[in-house]
Amino acid sequence: MNKPEVTQSKTRTKRDKTLPTSRKTGKIHPIIIYPFVQPDDFDDLNALYGLVEHLDADRQTYARPVTVMDRKTYYEASRSRAFREFRAKTVERFSDVVDCWCVDTCQMWYSGLGPAFERGASNDVYWLIPGDFNYGVPVGQEVLNRLHDLPEIILELGQDVCIGEIATDHTNSKQLIDTYGTFALLYNWFPVEAQEIREYTERPRSEFFAVHHTFLRELLARKWYPCEQTVVMLLRAVFSRKRISQFFVGHISDVPGGRESLSSAMQQVERTETVLKAMWRERNGTKKNWTDQYRVLENQSERVRRSALTILANLLG
Amino acid sequence: MSSFDYRKPLRAINFICNAPQAKAVSLVGDFNHWNPASHPMKQMPDHSWLLTVELKHGHHRYAFLVDGVLTLDPRAQGITRSDKGERVSLVPVS
Repeated sequence: MNKPEVTQSKTRTKRDKTLPTSRKTGKIHPIIIYPFVQPDDFDDLNALYGLVEHLDADRQTYARPVTVMDRKTYYEASRSRAFREFRAKTVERFSDVVDCWCVDTCQMWYSGLGPAFERGASNDVYWLIPGDFNYGVPVGQEVLNRLHDLPEIILELGQDVCIGEIATDHTNSKQLIDTYGTFALLYNWFPVEAQEIREYTERPRSEFFAVHHTFLRELLARKWYPCEQTVVMLLRAVFSRKRISQFFVGHISDVPGGRESLSSAMQQVERTETVLKAMWRERNGTKKNWTDQYRVLENQSERVRRSALTILANLLG
Repeated sequence: MSSFDYRKPLRAINFICNAPQAKAVSLVGDFNHWNPASHPMKQMPDHSWLLTVELKHGHHRYAFLVDGVLTLDPRAQGITRSDKGERVSLVPVS
């Protein structure tokens, strides 16, 4: 998706840390997901923690930021003096570090959102910031300058969740996975909800989002699926008629280490199918003769998944 | 990094709607209480419709009324819902 010229007479190039006094009360809790694989250089992380430093300095608007760091990342990287210094002088200085053993990124989200929620209050907003993006390059800086809009939209416009939309070219692996895998499977298992989700976003697995306290409480109280949490969150938002917003945060690509291989793309499609099946059963498992409909959908789902994997193999293999 | 300047609380925003065949286009949003008569747009020589509006710092919901039909701005930076539940566009003002 190519993003539009900005209609403003003056484009936004700077972060506006200070919000108008007229805004609704409620603090913003930034939650930074530290990259699972420590990058060789610190350009992207320095840019990200430049933002975190500013957030930490504005205690009127923001709660103390939280960084979630997997212990495997820590032990792997701690042989490096540069990493130890960065953690001590930057990460720990500008945020509270949650050290945890996580099986995947979704567990890192859970480990960060949970403690932040426990510190929060009823009008607060929780803002997830993925660490493994190329914030150090000019286009990444533009994204950093826009991310603050996500929690602000929730506070100012009384929304429940705001998804950050990232533009990529049509051959980007994430785009391909979402087009041929995520949405195809969503249309099979939850056709009505899928249509509504697509009215907002082409990226239902976006890692950029902010969520209101009340909705986060509902999400945390439900079963926490081990993957594709943004899809789960959007479905739950549509099920319960939450107020969803989408905001364009820019053009960005993963750092090279995070780009999808075919194997990784296949795994993501399979995970999405697993989660959607589980959610469908959770929602319909008490209905009479639900297994008959489930078998039909499961057969269709298998065909959808196989087609997606064939397409991805042709395009990424 | 600069903060918002509260001495200049309004900022001029250009809204452009590409509807060359339309007979009338107006801008509606939170800032004019969705009043169709409040902000008529002007057709430009290239047949697009233009209106400059001064808006306060923050995020504003809006849409175009193209011959009476509520229409999203394809160049908007975001999408949300109005209080009536209609899908509308979002513009950030800093």
